[in-house]
Amino acid sequence: MDLVTVNGLSKRFGGIVALSEAAFSARAGEVHALLGENGAGKSTFIQILSGAVKHDGGSILVDGQDYRPANPDDAQARGIAAVFQELSLIPDLSVEQNIWFRHEPQTMLGTVNRTQTRRNTLALLEKYDFPTLRPEQELRRLTLAERQIVEIAKGLAKNPRILILDEATSALPAREAEWLLKLTRQLAAEGRLVIFISHRMAEVRAIADRLTIFRNGSTVAAHEANTVSDDEIVTRMIGRHLDRLYPERVPTMTQRIALKVANLTSGSRLSGVDFSLREGEVLGVGGLQGHGQRELFQALFGATKAGGMIELWGKPAAIGNPRQALTGKDGIALVPEDRRGQGLLLTKSVRENLTLSVIRRFTENGLLSRQKEAALVKEMVDFLRIRAGTPEQLAGTLSGGNQQKVIFGKMLLTEARVLLLYDPTRGVDVGTKGEIFQLMRDLAAKGYAILFHSSDMPELVHVADRVLVMRNGRIAAALEGEHISEEGILRAAMLETRAA
Amino acid sequence: MVMSAEQTVERAQMPAQAKDTRPGIDWRGRALDRAPFLVACLMLALIVAIYGSLQSGVLSLDELNLDTAAAMTLMLAATGQTIVLLRGGIDLSIGGMISLGTVFAATRFTDDPSTTAFWALAILGLGFLIGALNGLLISLLKLQPFLVTLATWSILNGVAMIILPTDGGSVPGWWVGFASAQLLGLTSPVWMLLALLLFWWWFRATRAGITIQASGSNEKSAFLSGVSITRVNIVTYGLSGLFAAGAALFLITQTGAGSPTIGKDYILPSVAAAVIGGVSLFGGRGHLAGTLIGAFVLTLIGNLVFVLHVSSYWQPVASGVILLLSVLASSVAEKAARSRVQ
Ligand SMILES: Nc1ncnc2c1ncn2[C@@H]1O[C@H](COP(=O)(O)OP(=O)(O)OP(=O)(O)O)[C@@H](O)[C@H]1O
Ligand SMILES: [Mg+2]
Repeated sequence: MDLVTVNGLSKRFGGIVALSEAAFSARAGEVHALLGENGAGKSTFIQILSGAVKHDGGSILVDGQDYRPANPDDAQARGIAAVFQELSLIPDLSVEQNIWFRHEPQTMLGTVNRTQTRRNTLALLEKYDFPTLRPEQELRRLTLAERQIVEIAKGLAKNPRILILDEATSALPAREAEWLLKLTRQLAAEGRLVIFISHRMAEVRAIADRLTIFRNGSTVAAHEANTVSDDEIVTRMIGRHLDRLYPERVPTMTQRIALKVANLTSGSRLSGVDFSLREGEVLGVGGLQGHGQRELFQALFGATKAGGMIELWGKPAAIGNPRQALTGKDGIALVPEDRRGQGLLLTKSVRENLTLSVIRRFTENGLLSRQKEAALVKEMVDFLRIRAGTPEQLAGTLSGGNQQKVIFGKMLLTEARVLLLYDPTRGVDVGTKGEIFQLMRDLAAKGYAILFHSSDMPELVHVADRVLVMRNGRIAAALEGEHISEEGILRAAMLETRAA
Repeated sequence: MVMSAEQTVERAQMPAQAKDTRPGIDWRGRALDRAPFLVACLMLALIVAIYGSLQSGVLSLDELNLDTAAAMTLMLAATGQTIVLLRGGIDLSIGGMISLGTVFAATRFTDDPSTTAFWALAILGLGFLIGALNGLLISLLKLQPFLVTLATWSILNGVAMIILPTDGGSVPGWWVGFASAQLLGLTSPVWMLLALLLFWWWFRATRAGITIQASGSNEKSAFLSGVSITRVNIVTYGLSGLFAAGAALFLITQTGAGSPTIGKDYILPSVAAAVIGGVSLFGGRGHLAGTLIGAFVLTLIGNLVFVLHVSSYWQPVASGVILLLSVLASSVAEKAARSRVQ
């Protein structure tokens, strides 16, 4: 018998239809992938299942019984736990306080039993072979990847029968993502149902027993995973045939140097980075996570202090803070890692998010030209196919992938021609991924210079002209031509430094 | 440099994991987190030092007893305010509640201990109920705490005026005497201070305390984790009302009479004491110990102005400057902490 059966599920947010007549069924002991493009309704579905959002119509059966959770507690009581796409963590609590939040072991005084909490934490982390986490650390000091891991631990702490992973791999480095895939299989083998959402086809292929595809809020297909091809899945998902994911790599770089970096140093994470990025070039930055890639991007953008020299278009640049980094056509623009924390103002509209940092572009004689603004916003929304009801929809209510698109649009509107793209396709659906790669190549052809980091190695291999491999805060290798391969990158990333 | 394909890789030498260069305990991060609190302690020490150089016997038990009695009303009010700030809200209505509390006490307390005890409990209960109502309104109407509590402040103030239009009434002498009752050389306000700290130490470690803090730190996350935001608001503002009522009951030991307007003198100072003590106005961060130190700082500034023989109008000026300094200190620390993380 099916553990979960959903029929005719509908949900509207004001005028926006998030789900209409969606159907879903899954069995205990399987990994069930839920697929669909950005805004297809996957997260909404998950939020309904986990009691965070109430549905308008349709029925949900769990164990054959009617299920209509009033709040997340109801869902937990029925053994359903979700690892939310936007994470449900408390910045001011420690890692272990987050994991056991509201389920802490208590003392007779009604206070939290800290020794027991610590013991339970260590036992949990060990049982599922978690990557290193320090239980006492405050959450707001963690990187996005570490937070994602805490969120997973929090889900598992409830020992759920149904665990939902909403794009849980998207923020994880390769090694941790692999760990999660293994863990997912293990959980299914223990007889649990894991509902798995991801935009990475390879992951879905690796672990899913069955899959359900959403499109525009409705279910368009449900299959045994081994009976459909990737091609069929993608076509179902995006409603058209995708010829190729990666665009043709036509070299467009000139001899002109757009960005020259010498001896860039920042704390213990960046120790003397040198490279130059040329006009028309897409320069990849790879290596194992945590070897200075993030710090490199932040330092170049001026978000962290750094020493060394930076030249933009041949002129020395003192990049002190983000505002300075932004200004003008000779500036630098960044797509940051943590879109909810750094990239977006969640309580502002799509329009405001797009234009706030470039307001001067619509100002004539000190007056704001709403028409000009509206035209540019529309252009950007159409261009990136941002799925929003209107440009006035709040950014916080967009689907995850569409939030990422808004950040991309915001960066493009700055007119800066040196672009720093830190994982720009994170959480973006396949169709749009292809478009973003194409866009990157088009921009390069127009003379933009692009520094590009991706946690998904094949992207670096297929899109970049050259790949810098970082290790211990340095550039360990610069790969070109046929040396650019996943193996080549890994090799350079892991090789011990030879010279003493 | 271009990698050649021939370079060999010794698998055994590969680092298993990106090396974590951070030390086990992040001392500097912790120090930065506590910077606002440490700054408050420093300020208090400085003020005590100046005060001590102008006046003899400042570091005595008598002085501690006196100053704590002078600060206790503010401390009680600020305890409630701290809980609300931790939740990410603000409670202006405590002004009205304090006035109303003193007015009720001054008009209802009699020499009969059981009547007085009944009314004292009734005032505390009323404080909790009115606070809970604040919390309920904030949740149901989805309104800013500032607006809702501004409105209830005004209403409570009005009711206090209706009951007792001008300062007056009286409370029994034994109630007034409570504030100077001694045990082991310490007066009851000092014992109350210790009780407040004990309460905090317990409260912050309970699920309720953690839930309130979590809701102030990130409301959406708290909701997704199963927290009922309505219930949190009811408890948070209820506690604030309860402490405001407690402040009123203590205040009349100092004034001996009711006043329908006195409460407004505690609204902003209660927030200021918390902020000086390092409690964040954005919720999620802060400790009562800081608030209590902040309350001492604000009270001692009054003493200082007095012994300096300058116009008493300098007191709010000095309080304002200190408030600015603490806000500055915490924002500097915040920036320093942030530039380290990302
Ligand atoms: N609170 C809300 N208010 C208004 N619209 C919303 C809200 N939540 C979701 N939506 C809309 O519902 C639609 C479905 O969003 P959902 O987050 O379920 O998509 P998704 O399939 O998870 O996409 P992604 O892959 O990008 O995460 C989107 O168009 C989104 O803008
Ligand atoms: Mg989603």
